[in-house]
Amino acid sequence: MASAGESGDGADGKGVTTITIISSDNEAFEVLEAAASMSLTIRHLIEDGCADGGIPLPNVTAGILAKVLEYCSKHVAAVAASSEAGSSSNAADAAAAPEKEEDLASFDKAFIDVEQDTLYDLLMAANYLEVKGLLDLACQKVADMIKGKTPDAIRQTFKIKNDFSPEQEEKIREENQWAFE
Amino acid sequence: MEGGHEEEGSACGAEAADQFDRLPDAVLLDVFNRIGDVKALGRCALVSRRFHALVPLVDSVFVRVDCVIPDDLPPHAGSPQQQEAPAAAAAVPPARGRGSLAHIARFLLGVIARPIQALGQILSPVAATVSRRSAPQPASPPAPAADVSHHSPSEVLRSFKELRRLHIELPTGELGIDDGVLLKWKADFGSTLGSCVILGASSVSSKPPSPPNPPETDAADNSAASPESTREPEESGSLPESLYTNGWLKLRVVWTISSLIAASARHYLLQPIISDHATLESLNLTDSDGQGVLTMDKRQLQELRVRPVSPSGSSHRTLMPALRMRLYYAPHVELPGGTLLKGATLVAIRPSEDASREGGGAGAAGSAGTCWISNAFEEPYRTAAKALLKTREYCLEMNSF
Repeated sequence: MASAGESGDGADGKGVTTITIISSDNEAFEVLEAAASMSLTIRHLIEDGCADGGIPLPNVTAGILAKVLEYCSKHVAAVAASSEAGSSSNAADAAAAPEKEEDLASFDKAFIDVEQDTLYDLLMAANYLEVKGLLDLACQKVADMIKGKTPDAIRQTFKIKNDFSPEQEEKIREENQWAFE
Repeated sequence: MEGGHEEEGSACGAEAADQFDRLPDAVLLDVFNRIGDVKALGRCALVSRRFHALVPLVDSVFVRVDCVIPDDLPPHAGSPQQQEAPAAAAAVPPARGRGSLAHIARFLLGVIARPIQALGQILSPVAATVSRRSAPQPASPPAPAADVSHHSPSEVLRSFKELRRLHIELPTGELGIDDGVLLKWKADFGSTLGSCVILGASSVSSKPPSPPNPPETDAADNSAASPESTREPEESGSLPESLYTNGWLKLRVVWTISSLIAASARHYLLQPIISDHATLESLNLTDSDGQGVLTMDKRQLQELRVRPVSPSGSSHRTLMPALRMRLYYAPHVELPGGTLLKGATLVAIRPSEDASREGGGAGAAGSAGTCWISNAFEEPYRTAAKALLKTREYCLEMNSF
């Protein structure tokens, strides 16, 4: 439920606005508009003026939404920090930039190290919400899980049905024999 | 096992549900594009019909070649060592399979003495493969490895119709070089050579550099390096007399020609792949030793399609046009990390036609920029290249070959 007091345009002294996002199971999350806008889907809704009273997302549960927003908030903060460092003439700031990149990389790595069901949900959510960075991260993780596995192992890991007939499978295996050597 | 799924699958939902089922094809394709390794993709194609339909749409592939086969050694001749290799070649199925990477070893024979070591290097991975896989077969020829089959990159890439970025990695560099010698090249090609940068050093050591009195190490290097005394006041560009002695120049020429031959041979054998894949926009052919890198960008690939390659005589490599080379030398170059290069040499090569079109003679390094030279290699060699670019430039010309 969106409460009127926390609707779209909560502004503080710095002119930073926050947005309320509502999960499919009716939990409300308040985040910086900049963070929420990392999702193109949400950004368009904001631009279309649909953000009043909060943005409902019928396809994303609270647990996953929380994670997605955590990702967005972290990345938005990192972008802000690096642009500050870029425009500052402080040598210390500039020197700290590569370290901050490393921090972000470690954050990403730990962030995506989740159970498979969660990974799948994150992938779906990132796709639906169009959060490019998160989608890339999740896709790469899935790709890494596929590499090195046999077709059977891939099917088992992702619960995929083998819908080939034995003859078809044999034929394809022969065509792709090089992949098994 | 799969049959069990079939019954409960769609009805039951949760446990048996295909996790990718609700993902659109575009996302699955994104995942496949990040896999890279062509063998992993080949295995994916076997997972389900949907995977099988999507894998050929992948636009970015990495092919790691396991071994390179010499293709025209006689089938039953020669020493036992040689016999394994031609046996492997004999077992290669269609002509298509043989025509691809086989020629690297062949062209190296008889050109320059040094590459014969490369032949030995290239054969050993083959011999190793052969002995690992050989199994007795009923009516097979006496060759121990008749059951080994080899697949060319062309064959492996055949189903990828939308390929845009391709990276092929050879198992080793083609050039056999002595221990402690450094030789690296980077070349780009369109229909013919675009540019080539070579970095060589007669020795590489990680010892801390000795104090800078002209040491008694290598007489050739010394005479080249010692200031003023041996340098004649020649006009800029031509090599001082001293460098023609002691094999200094000959060694560098051998490095240069070997590198160019290796590069042109790689280029030549990429043709079938390029013509099979009209969507290709970027092509890299490297080796796991980090010796040579061949690249072709979108414009260059297009040029090749419009103007096919001219072979050099009957050898399986691309004809080199007349070349203008700029040579830089320093007796000692220290790399970041403490490695010391002795007798370090940088050679920057472009077709004479291109070099003169860019206006100016030997001293024109400034205008056209030296970015292509200084950026040819990754660190720590990039630092070496930049250091060498600051030294005196010597110009050489080479005829087409």
